[in-house]
Amino acid sequence: MNDHAIVSATDLNKGFGSIQVVKGVNLEVKRGEFVAIVGKSGSGKTTLLSLLSGLERPSSGRVTLNGQDITDSSEDELSLVRREKVGFIFQSFHLIPTLTAWENVALPLFPVKIPVPKRRQRALELLAKMEMAHRAEHRPAALSGGEKQRVAISRALVNNPEIVFADEPTGNLDSVTGKAIMTTLRSLHQETGLSLVMVTHDLDLAESADRILRMQDGEVVS
Amino acid sequence: MDIHYMVKELWFRKRRTLAATIGLAAGMAVLIIMNALSSAYSEASRQPLEEIGADITVQRAGDVPEELSGPVFACSAVTIHKNEADRIQALSGIQGFAQALLLWIFDADRFTIVLGLDPANPDGPGVLHTQVIDGRFLEKGKREALVEASFAEKLAIKTGDPVTVAGETYPVVGILDASRASKIAVANIYLPLREAQKIAAASKQVQAVSPFEPEDANILFIKAAPEKIEPLTQSIKTIMGDNVSVATPASFLKRLGSLFALSDQFTQVTSLIAVVVTLLIVLKTMAANLTERAGEIGILKAVGWSNGHVVRQLMGESILQCFIGGTLGLMLAILVTWALGFTQVSIPIPWEMSPTPHFLPGGGDPIFKTLRLPVRVSWSLAGSAILLSTLIGAVTGGFLSRHIARIKPSEVLRYE
Repeated sequence: MNDHAIVSATDLNKGFGSIQVVKGVNLEVKRGEFVAIVGKSGSGKTTLLSLLSGLERPSSGRVTLNGQDITDSSEDELSLVRREKVGFIFQSFHLIPTLTAWENVALPLFPVKIPVPKRRQRALELLAKMEMAHRAEHRPAALSGGEKQRVAISRALVNNPEIVFADEPTGNLDSVTGKAIMTTLRSLHQETGLSLVMVTHDLDLAESADRILRMQDGEVVS
Repeated sequence: MDIHYMVKELWFRKRRTLAATIGLAAGMAVLIIMNALSSAYSEASRQPLEEIGADITVQRAGDVPEELSGPVFACSAVTIHKNEADRIQALSGIQGFAQALLLWIFDADRFTIVLGLDPANPDGPGVLHTQVIDGRFLEKGKREALVEASFAEKLAIKTGDPVTVAGETYPVVGILDASRASKIAVANIYLPLREAQKIAAASKQVQAVSPFEPEDANILFIKAAPEKIEPLTQSIKTIMGDNVSVATPASFLKRLGSLFALSDQFTQVTSLIAVVVTLLIVLKTMAANLTERAGEIGILKAVGWSNGHVVRQLMGESILQCFIGGTLGLMLAILVTWALGFTQVSIPIPWEMSPTPHFLPGGGDPIFKTLRLPVRVSWSLAGSAILLSTLIGAVTGGFLSRHIARIKPSEVLRYE
């Protein structure tokens, strides 16, 4: 693996029963690179993202994340990798309804022994960066879609990850809000040099990336 | 484990939390109340004997004399020989021992119930020294008598007067009001045991029914630790043979006839049912709660929570919820037991322990010891209930959270 690669996949396959969802994928994402994975619905983009981030185990092939082969890692090892190296942004935001915005941001820090005031301070800093400081004490139910996604982005960044995986981050947003979120992500990538792998079916959004990978029937075709 | 998050989850799902908490509170309240009632009946059953300074009384049933004249054995409770008393006193586990002699004396002009007791022995009828209302209690080695207050009033006897029993005259050194304390072995006149034994030994009617030596008695009072009472009862029956009548708290408990008095097993079974039902309620509520939160648990795992972190968080929630339920149940039980404490319980006294002969006015009436049910929630019962609630929380929380923590985040998030 190239020393500059943050994540790489070698001959990656994933099947669910008789259905082969990801077929022989080989790819590499460099540190600081913004890669968009595009393809039609059912082309295997989200499954590939799950495999690269350690949320899913491959049927065969290998995945290396930040220099560590995670293919055979235990559940607890994968949790640790995700907690320390990875940030996630989901299409449906996946915020915890009982917690306020800042508590949702700090969620990945709950298992880490950090005093609550420090946790809160870190979460508030990120929310302020997302222009969401005024909504810190609100629950998800009181936030708009765009605000929820900003909270989710803050949560993805709270552990200072090496790489962020975003699965259709604008999929549940209107076009104006979607564009605003994309601007935020792009700025983050440019300002911090954060590696970003984004799955989308929107080619216009994918244009923001440094590189576009196209998937079709489980294979990366270009 | 984050307590703030725990509390928020419980508060957010109010209905479910309330259902589990109320279910657990009800179960724990039933458990505490049943056990408190069981203990209360046990305690009540000890009171008639405790009042006469014993945990066990021993008598021997005999024949009725052909003629009711002069001194006779009261209630046909015949001789317990000295050697039998000595063997019983030597049994292991006995903490206190007293002999007494209960006699009916049919004089030409009156009927008298006489109890001979050992003035120097604090056990058995010796406890009556606290019931002296005038004068003093009997003293060792002295030839004197105490008179029961109602009997003294009826015959206009005062402290310092002489009183005649079976032809012997004794100075009255005090007036005793035992009716406030005891229903057992209550007499009209109390004599030193030595004097009563002399009267019995000299009585033809006594000797005709059961040979009596001057050191024999017809009632024994024994103090023993609760766990020793049953084995001692068996040993006493072995020594005394047939016709022995042994009264213990357990025999009084049986006379109460209440469900609680029938058997400890009833309380144990009811408690077990309460615990199982509570466990099922908590299990069902928590299972529904966790199924509803599968997506949330998937998120926690996706953002880096390990299985252990998830288990600890969910177990903590369950324990906290059950602790609150247990505490509410305890408060409810304290309230109910306080109300139950106003109820009265009447313990029937067996006829052989009631010294009034049935042929006298009122003598055939059943005698009851009536007292307020001493029901209370002890510290140990309260502590056990809270501990059990917490344990239920830990067991159900541990079982279910281990299961759900194995969830694959990708699977849950895919279907969200």
